[in-house]
Amino acid sequence: MANRASRYARYLPQEKLEISLFPFLSIFLCVMGVLSFINILSSVSAPQKIQLTMELEQGYKVAFQIFTLPDGMIVLPPVNRLQELQKVVSDQDKAELAFIILNRQRLIDQVMASQANPANSARAPDTEDVLEWMYEIRKINEMALQANFLYEEFVLFGVYPNGGQAYQKVRSVMSNSIDAQNISVGLEPLDANWSLSLHNQGAK
Amino acid sequence: MKNLINVDSLTDIVSNSVGILIIFAVINLIHDNNKTYELEIPIEHETDLRPAYIISKDDRLLLLDTEQVFENAAQQASNGASAGKRIFELGYEGLFAQLDQDKGISFHARVTDNWPKFTELSKNGSDLQKQLDSIDPNQYFAYFFVYDETSLGSTAGSGYESFRTARNYLKARRIKSGWQPVNSEFPPSICDLSFSSNCRYLPSFLASDTGSP
Repeated sequence: MANRASRYARYLPQEKLEISLFPFLSIFLCVMGVLSFINILSSVSAPQKIQLTMELEQGYKVAFQIFTLPDGMIVLPPVNRLQELQKVVSDQDKAELAFIILNRQRLIDQVMASQANPANSARAPDTEDVLEWMYEIRKINEMALQANFLYEEFVLFGVYPNGGQAYQKVRSVMSNSIDAQNISVGLEPLDANWSLSLHNQGAK
Repeated sequence: MKNLINVDSLTDIVSNSVGILIIFAVINLIHDNNKTYELEIPIEHETDLRPAYIISKDDRLLLLDTEQVFENAAQQASNGASAGKRIFELGYEGLFAQLDQDKGISFHARVTDNWPKFTELSKNGSDLQKQLDSIDPNQYFAYFFVYDETSLGSTAGSGYESFRTARNYLKARRIKSGWQPVNSEFPPSICDLSFSSNCRYLPSFLASDTGSP
């Protein structure tokens, strides 16, 4: 019986499933390849956003940021905590501080205006400007100390490739300024594809 | 015989796995674009430690033997080679030098081929490791002259990567370090503070590092 069934089965027409996996696999691999390529490309070329901060242990120290580029420098002075400081200083200092805040806000606005490409707002270091910034920083630090307000500004340089020339010029001016003598300085090398994060620079 | 090989389940597993990987890649891509890196910025501090000078250029590092450098410079000066702020061959690791009353001795690093690559710091027992290990943290800090000029296609200064690597290496050994950017316009120079206020070489570190020597 079994013998007959197997002989019968041998003569049944075979149903061949003609499905070729090649087109599927080819499209699949192409998509994978393209996606991997985009991923690698973006990880290499996409600018990293860098926010320059300091360590928490020096929380009362606030950075007056100067980014030096081949075309000059971008200045981002701090303003947020100055309004708190303004509340605790004398009336005379209040007026001076208000003037400083106004000046600094103007500098920030210039950078924010070219937020898409902050490098456009870079300008060559001007001796008078640098001396004025140093005076302002010293004055603010003194006001904070007198008012027993935990706040100290320091100059922070972010040096982009080929930005050394602007850095050296500013340091040269600083080394001849009496105001800058007691101001702390920090500096860090930055790669060209590290972009600035400006989201925290607006005044409150 | 044909029934023994079934590609369906294999394709199923592979396509599922790759699909998940693609989703991960896309999420990673979106996430990466919004990532903001925060840098810790060391601040310059006054110190009683003496600087051990290192030139960082073309991904290479040169620890200056100041005694040898000054000896060679003095010899060249006595021969008249340094007269009139002329750049002369120092006879030390391919360096050229220039003497100036305000800038002291300036170095022009034109040929760096013989300097050790910073990648040697990852090799145990390499000459570069030995040189940096010889810096005594109780007496010296490392001061880097870092070239900020870029080579073609690079996004960083030619000395940035080597400086960062060496700084991390030294930090792990509790050796403090400071730096300044240099280039052909502003070459590395060693001078005395009594001659010019620009001649200050300070280590930079975080407040949390002050406990170390």
